Amino acid sequence: MDAILTAFGLVFDPAVMLVILGSALFGMFVGAMPGLTATMATALLVPVTFFMDPVPALGAIVTATAMAIFAGDIPAAMLRMPGTPASAAYADESYLMAKKGQLDLNLGVNVVFSALGGILGVFFLVACAPSLAEMALNFSSFEYFWLACLGLTCAVFIGTGDPLKGFVSLLLGLSVACVGIDPAAGAPRFTFGNVDLMSGINFIAVMIGAFAVSELLRGAVTLHRQGHVVVPQVGNVFRGVGGVMRRYWKNFIRGSLAGTLIGALPGAGADIAAWVSYAMAKRFSRTPEKFGTGHVEGVVEAGSANNSAVAGAWIPALVFGIPGDSITAIVIGVLYMKGMNPGPTVFTENPQLIYAVFITFVLANLIMVPLGWAAIKSMKQVLRIPRTILLPLILLFCIVGAFAMTNSQYGIVLMLAFGLLGWFMEENGIPVAPMILGLVLGEMLEQNFMTSMIKSDGAWLAFFERPIAGGLGAMTLLIWLLMLGRGARTALRRAALA
Amino acid sequence: MRVNDAVLGLVLLLLASTMIWLTTDFPAFPGQDYGPALFPRLLGGGLILCGLLLVARGLAARRRGGAAWVELAPWWFQPGPALSFLGMPLTVLIYLLLADRLGFIPLAFALLLALFLWFGERLARALPVALLATLLVHWFFSGMMRVPLPRGLLNEFL
Repeated sequence: MDAILTAFGLVFDPAVMLVILGSALFGMFVGAMPGLTATMATALLVPVTFFMDPVPALGAIVTATAMAIFAGDIPAAMLRMPGTPASAAYADESYLMAKKGQLDLNLGVNVVFSALGGILGVFFLVACAPSLAEMALNFSSFEYFWLACLGLTCAVFIGTGDPLKGFVSLLLGLSVACVGIDPAAGAPRFTFGNVDLMSGINFIAVMIGAFAVSELLRGAVTLHRQGHVVVPQVGNVFRGVGGVMRRYWKNFIRGSLAGTLIGALPGAGADIAAWVSYAMAKRFSRTPEKFGTGHVEGVVEAGSANNSAVAGAWIPALVFGIPGDSITAIVIGVLYMKGMNPGPTVFTENPQLIYAVFITFVLANLIMVPLGWAAIKSMKQVLRIPRTILLPLILLFCIVGAFAMTNSQYGIVLMLAFGLLGWFMEENGIPVAPMILGLVLGEMLEQNFMTSMIKSDGAWLAFFERPIAGGLGAMTLLIWLLMLGRGARTALRRAALA
Repeated sequence: MRVNDAVLGLVLLLLASTMIWLTTDFPAFPGQDYGPALFPRLLGGGLILCGLLLVARGLAARRRGGAAWVELAPWWFQPGPALSFLGMPLTVLIYLLLADRLGFIPLAFALLLALFLWFGERLARALPVALLATLLVHWFFSGMMRVPLPRGLLNEFL
């Protein structure tokens, strides 16, 4: 109880509130700008939060991401351009609604169900995380090893269309994580006598490169065929939302549940949650033929799902230190920087902090409604900011942000290298997210692997002897087998065709 | 820039074998079988497996026709987009090379202005935005957050 009161005190501090408000506006802006993603918003925020206390730092990230995921819906409906990938699943549906003269209703549904979905997601986060953490207190290196394996495998299995390239990305990330001092014996690896490399690869600088700089590179190419955008007029967005709620509350509940679950799976975030829920809404609908003609049902379900996924992703991040998506991967880095190792012990050592995160989450989803309304109303002005100004400005932020992470040019070099690499990978269908997860989890995975190997003296069976470890291990191996089977089947089919 | 899977696979094989070769220098500890080399070697093995699969897939794609070794998107051959693309990493490179000598404020201002103008912004808007943005970023990171941005030419004034 004490911790909850402390948490309230921590969050409702004027300075913290100001930070939350500021990051809410920042998140709204980034989310509403087509081409700038929520992950990019987080990566750019980290250098700013670097010097803050833990509560405002986490509050800023929580608020900015929640806002960005909602704000992506606005240009999707108005211009058929999803502001973030999480809105892509129902951008066409929203745009068709707008064409039918239901733009107001669509935006109202988006803002209300984003907020409600987010709150339901937080509810599950609050309900599940502490009890899971209690269970996780008994975990040994074997469980953590398999948990990390399972998480990384899920990232490859769910998050990508091409598992082979997903694995390439993951293994590259894990290999990059090996650079620096090895966690078990303390020997320098792949450092070539360089002092900067001894400190390891700073993964925030890598992330700024892979998520922001690569996006800028893509943006620079399309800059020259930017047309004029016409933003339609918006009336009273809240009219009719109550009716939608009464009619489609089942979709809201199902979407939020699915969103939280998918968010909690490592490697799958808000965008996949939206795709899955949209497809689910269509399958279970009584009027599936209306989908794709500007029908509100799918928008309700997917709009709730992507915001609940934002909260769901925090469950494995806080409890096991395994990120649920690329945003929480950044969060884990921030937690480490603040000297709080994510994992079950955070719940006993810093409970006030966990509660502060929960409170901020609820708060962020509550202020989403008025701020979202304001964002919808001022969309004309936001979209008037030309990308010719925006792109160079973001590049400058990237440079300064990467510099601030290492206080040396090493950060900028990393950012540039991984920006180009990230761009090249995306061009060739190799997803970037598994690499980032691998980079973040590499040290933990290796440490638990080495500890387990040394404990069991190399006996592989020991990895399956404890019941939970055995279950997790079996699950991981099963997914690997499934993937192999799927790969073999497509290879056979191709051979048969040739 | 799309390259054939076989090329990707070859690069991976090269990378992974270099990685494994480098681990041969890692110290071993007597009486301890599992040293710093074990994990990177396992990863290297995984990468080699992926590399081989990619090579096989890329060659199969070649046999079925189509699929060039390296394929450049059409915009690479238009001066506008291609230069805009290269301008981004070039800006970072110039910053890396000159930051310590010139300092953050003059260099960031010049780079911003150059990019704005290259992207087709009017001078009347580019000049004030570049100046304001540079000063704001400097104030926030250097003043508020104590990031030691290079001072360079303005060392005596700051």
